[in-house]
Amino acid sequence: MTLNDLAPLIPLMVIAVSSVIIMLGIAFYRSRAFSGLLTLAGIAVAFITLFGVQGTRQVTSLLILDDYALFYIGLILAASFVVALLSSDYLEGRRENIEEFYILLLLSTLGSSVLAASTHFVSFFIGLEILSVSLYALIAYTRNELNIEAGVKYLVLAAASSAFLLFGIALLYGETGTMEFSRMSSGISAQGINKGMLLTGFALVLTGVGFKLAVAPFHMWTPDVYEGAPAPVTAFVATVSKGGVFALLLRYFIQVDMHAYPSLFGAVAFIAVASMFAGNLLALLQKNIKRILAYSSIAHLGYLLVAFLAGGVMRVTAVTFYLVAYFITTLGAFGVVTMLSGKERDADAVEDYQGLFRHRPWLALIFSAMLFSLAGIPLTAGFIGKFYIVAAGAGSALWLLVIMLVINSAIGLYYYLRIIVVLYAQPGHSEVSAVSSLPLTGSLVLVLLTVLLLWLGVYPEPLIEMIHRMTMRF
Amino acid sequence: MLAEGIFIYLAAAITILSVLVITRKNPVHSVITMLVLFFHIAALYVTLNAEFLAAVQVIVYAGAILVLFLFVILLLNLKEEAVARRYVGPWPLGLMAAVGLFLAIIVSLDSFVAGPKGAFTTEVIKAETNTKALGKILFTEYLYPFEVVSIVLLVAIIGAIVLAKKRLRS
Amino acid sequence: MFSKHWMLIAPARCGAEMMELLWLIPAFPLAGFLALAVTGARMPKRLAAIIGTGSVGASAVVALFIGMHFISSPPQGHLSSQTLWTWIEIGEFRPSITFYLDPLSLVMTFVVTFVGFLIHLYSTEFMAEEEGYSRFFAYMNLFVCSMLILVLADNLLLLYLGWEGVGLCSYLLIGFWYKDHANGRAAMKAFIVTRVGDTSMAIGFILLYFNLGTLNIQEIMQRASQAWPVGSTFAVAAAALLLGGALGKSAQLPLQTWLPDAMAGPTPVSALIHAATMVTAGVYLIARTNVLFTLAPVVQEAVAVIGALTLLIAGFSALTQHDIKRVLAYSTISQIGYMFLALGVGAWSAALFHFMTHAFFKALLFLGAGAVILALDYEHNMFRMGGLRKELPLTFWTFLIGSASLSALPLVTAGFYSKDLILWYSLSSEDGSPWFWAAGMAGALLTSIYTFRMVFLIFFGAAKGRVSRKPGMTMKFPLLILAVLSIIGGFVELPRIPIFSEFVKTALPSAKTLHEGLLGEGMQQVIASGVSLIGVSIAYLLFLRAPLNVERFTSHPAGKALHRFWFSGWGFDWLYNKVFVGPFIWIARTNKDDFIDLIYGGMAWYGRFFHVALSLTQSGKVRWYAMGITIGAVITIGITVFL
Repeated sequence: MTLNDLAPLIPLMVIAVSSVIIMLGIAFYRSRAFSGLLTLAGIAVAFITLFGVQGTRQVTSLLILDDYALFYIGLILAASFVVALLSSDYLEGRRENIEEFYILLLLSTLGSSVLAASTHFVSFFIGLEILSVSLYALIAYTRNELNIEAGVKYLVLAAASSAFLLFGIALLYGETGTMEFSRMSSGISAQGINKGMLLTGFALVLTGVGFKLAVAPFHMWTPDVYEGAPAPVTAFVATVSKGGVFALLLRYFIQVDMHAYPSLFGAVAFIAVASMFAGNLLALLQKNIKRILAYSSIAHLGYLLVAFLAGGVMRVTAVTFYLVAYFITTLGAFGVVTMLSGKERDADAVEDYQGLFRHRPWLALIFSAMLFSLAGIPLTAGFIGKFYIVAAGAGSALWLLVIMLVINSAIGLYYYLRIIVVLYAQPGHSEVSAVSSLPLTGSLVLVLLTVLLLWLGVYPEPLIEMIHRMTMRF
Repeated sequence: MLAEGIFIYLAAAITILSVLVITRKNPVHSVITMLVLFFHIAALYVTLNAEFLAAVQVIVYAGAILVLFLFVILLLNLKEEAVARRYVGPWPLGLMAAVGLFLAIIVSLDSFVAGPKGAFTTEVIKAETNTKALGKILFTEYLYPFEVVSIVLLVAIIGAIVLAKKRLRS
Repeated sequence: MFSKHWMLIAPARCGAEMMELLWLIPAFPLAGFLALAVTGARMPKRLAAIIGTGSVGASAVVALFIGMHFISSPPQGHLSSQTLWTWIEIGEFRPSITFYLDPLSLVMTFVVTFVGFLIHLYSTEFMAEEEGYSRFFAYMNLFVCSMLILVLADNLLLLYLGWEGVGLCSYLLIGFWYKDHANGRAAMKAFIVTRVGDTSMAIGFILLYFNLGTLNIQEIMQRASQAWPVGSTFAVAAAALLLGGALGKSAQLPLQTWLPDAMAGPTPVSALIHAATMVTAGVYLIARTNVLFTLAPVVQEAVAVIGALTLLIAGFSALTQHDIKRVLAYSTISQIGYMFLALGVGAWSAALFHFMTHAFFKALLFLGAGAVILALDYEHNMFRMGGLRKELPLTFWTFLIGSASLSALPLVTAGFYSKDLILWYSLSSEDGSPWFWAAGMAGALLTSIYTFRMVFLIFFGAAKGRVSRKPGMTMKFPLLILAVLSIIGGFVELPRIPIFSEFVKTALPSAKTLHEGLLGEGMQQVIASGVSLIGVSIAYLLFLRAPLNVERFTSHPAGKALHRFWFSGWGFDWLYNKVFVGPFIWIARTNKDDFIDLIYGGMAWYGRFFHVALSLTQSGKVRWYAMGITIGAVITIGITVFL
């Protein structure tokens, strides 16, 4: 380990340092604008320094800064940037001191980024803990009853799932004698692969990761936490935290070559199918938008796992493109919820959106675009993403999974369209429509996200190219 | 034979004590049981030749954290909560899940073959002493994580303050 | 900087850069549509008119420059294509956004943008007092954009996008005055009837893709001629399926019934969509895929027969209509019948030529009719018009020119040259026959009778209505331009001086003539001229000189029946209602809770059931959730370890 090793870590260090600067800054001068700007600047600088990392850099055995990691860190940073922008206006007036929010936001972003670059169980676990611990506080941040309930639930359950994860890691370590992903497979092949203990280890790791990704049957916390957390934090939980974990999962299972274990494959397939059905069926008649989006995210992670199971080059392309589309769409949808939320409570009832088109045609159109993308309607990024997943699945002849995916897309259409119908119905009586004026930054962010969504829907080529380049070296 | 006997005793004690911790109605009793539990865990570390960990376990967990717990509980005066009926409706289901997990792990246990050993075998550690070996690996191979863990602590502190204090104005 | 910019515009100096501007042609109307759609009713009318007309005008200018460049220094192989980007790329399936320009698409583009521009200009005044002014222009711009995508498409998927796009716009514009339910129904009818054809076409496309493995139209043609022998099953099936699509869009037998009802839309819409451009998409499709039709002689024969039958049937129907727009609608069906006839006998360029001249004079006639309708406060019935010659002189003269061109009055009209070419090939071509020629001649006679019946009823005789408003400059200007084009548009293809067919011959093979000796081309021209003049005279005798004769005939029971038969478009609507619509509704009604419905109902029921069941697991209790995780872990371990 030399100073030279530190160079590729600059993006991560920038985030850590800016959080410390904000913390020290608060001690002397408390200002929302100041902290917010520092946060945005920190994320932006970190993003820029990503481009300074040349080639694939393995930093000790713990972290690797290759194109894949850089891409995912970039995605995570971009999403945090959006969340930071959305939350500044949202938090105003909801609680006294909102400067610490940014510290927590930055640190959880750091945790997620560490996950994307991890090649070792130690860095994996520490990244996960940084992420989770900041999330506990973020979820409960505005301290109303719902917040605190959600925060405590997340705390208890995440701790429980971490226990499973640690146990799994311990078993794998015992069997292979290493915690490095790349050396693990050679450790395994020395032992022979049909080891009950080894598989139990995998299964327990899968349990811990599955909890973070909120896939069935580890999904039950999702709606409660999504509903209880402040809307921008929900967006954060849905994107940044899952993105990092998924990037790690993909890297891990590619490095230990998951396809060598048919039964592990079966377990992931079970989780995928269960998630798709559980998510979509639970969302079917749900009346709370945040809960619908929570269920929908369960289903979407199920779709992602289908691509994850497919082999070949298509896998990384499909997963990554879908994740990007999912990020944009989820941020957009929760962005709309954030913008409409009053100080009393979040705008999370479906009735709150009745006739939104009449008061706020733009917002309604943006929301519709996001929902269309979630449903996978053509000309949106969601369609291209789903198309790639189906193509990847069909390419690997995973017919059963693809059929399940198609059936579930059809079920999903029902509740997305249900919301869209409400958007264009006659206005009802809801105090949410009375929100006086929309904050400018939030509106700009939403417009940008929508443009991006449609842009990727009709012109996905540049992104696909980028992902291809990234997977070449992977 | 003796080592096995001790292990079985410790394992059984840890299990029973854990169950007791979560079933006591009085939180003070729970904490006291937990104290005993932690001592047993420390003993388990000693049998595994991890004296340093055992010491840390006793000093940090039993010594510091549990005492803090006790203070908080005494300060809060939890009489009402102590007698409130707890939610234990579906405990048979829970028991089944736990037994299932236990069985699944037991069944797969017999296939266990220890993986290749690293540089720090028991002999090396014994020769070098526990603390030194731990320090060596912590400040070389795992230096980054060791530093980064401080961020976890930072997050925890900020989180706790943010959630606990109403007004943070200086 | 400036000079470089100028380079792009100056047609004489620039090289391949000119072709790089191709994408602008559909992009301008699309931008116009987006601007109009986004701002909606908030946009002031004047601005909406400027954006709506200007965007089409701009693409007309670009089309003009590109066309000039194309003619003056033709690109390699007389075609050029521009790939903007690839939409998706999965193995062989690689639909790209590529525009393809050859003489065929250039002619189409030229007509669509120029006639489109003139009609937009006309509409700025015609629609001035309507509600939804900017909505109108938004739809119109979207239409022009879709039509341009359709004609410039390089692959089937893009073509299909344009095809459905124009269908959608047609639906929206027929039902533009949606507050009247009849208009909505007409829009629905147009949409559903053309959909029958569209479905057939889509199946055809899929068949082509799966058998030839590419979406690119040129490659398909190439591979088809290599892979499929003449008359092979696949070629026949593919050609027949595409023909289905063409029949629907171009309102040919048996899918012609929607077009007369489509006149419910505003008159400029009828001029642009239902006369000049969209309805000829079928002609374009067949011309574009002419290789396929050559490989399937049976189908090509069918094209000719359908064309001949359609032109006659529609001609008779046109003879009996009261509504000025319905006369023109039947006339459009009939004229497209001529184009189909030309396609069927392998005279591809003649069909395209007639498409061009028809676009000019039919747009002119519709716009003239619009001026008349507006002048008489939305009066459509020709029998309540008359004597408008004095009141609306410019409208009269231009309408007269249009009518002359439609009736193919000899030598001075564009319609004469194009129709003459078709008649000549229907007789002389390898695939021609005297029957086709006779049908064409009979149709020509009918055409001049119903056309001048219209002229005499509207502009001559006693004045019956009061003229409430006269067309202004913006309505007169398009009429004048189109009138000029209706005359000079024919001179690009004179007998012995075939500039037009020379120009398009790289895209469309020239017709093979055989029966040179049977009847000389000059002789046939003389006959055709005679027929059209006779038609005019008959019209004069029957409808101006002695209208009583006609009344006497129609009051006779047999005459009455015939009149009603023709008036209702040969009873096709009645027949379809009895054969398709009635039984379909009956089946739908009696079969409401059938097996298929049970499946859907069952799915909904199970969906709801599982929703309720799963919702029970969301108890909100942390212990319960923790147990869920544990059970999940047990299942996962179970699957990984024991499976």
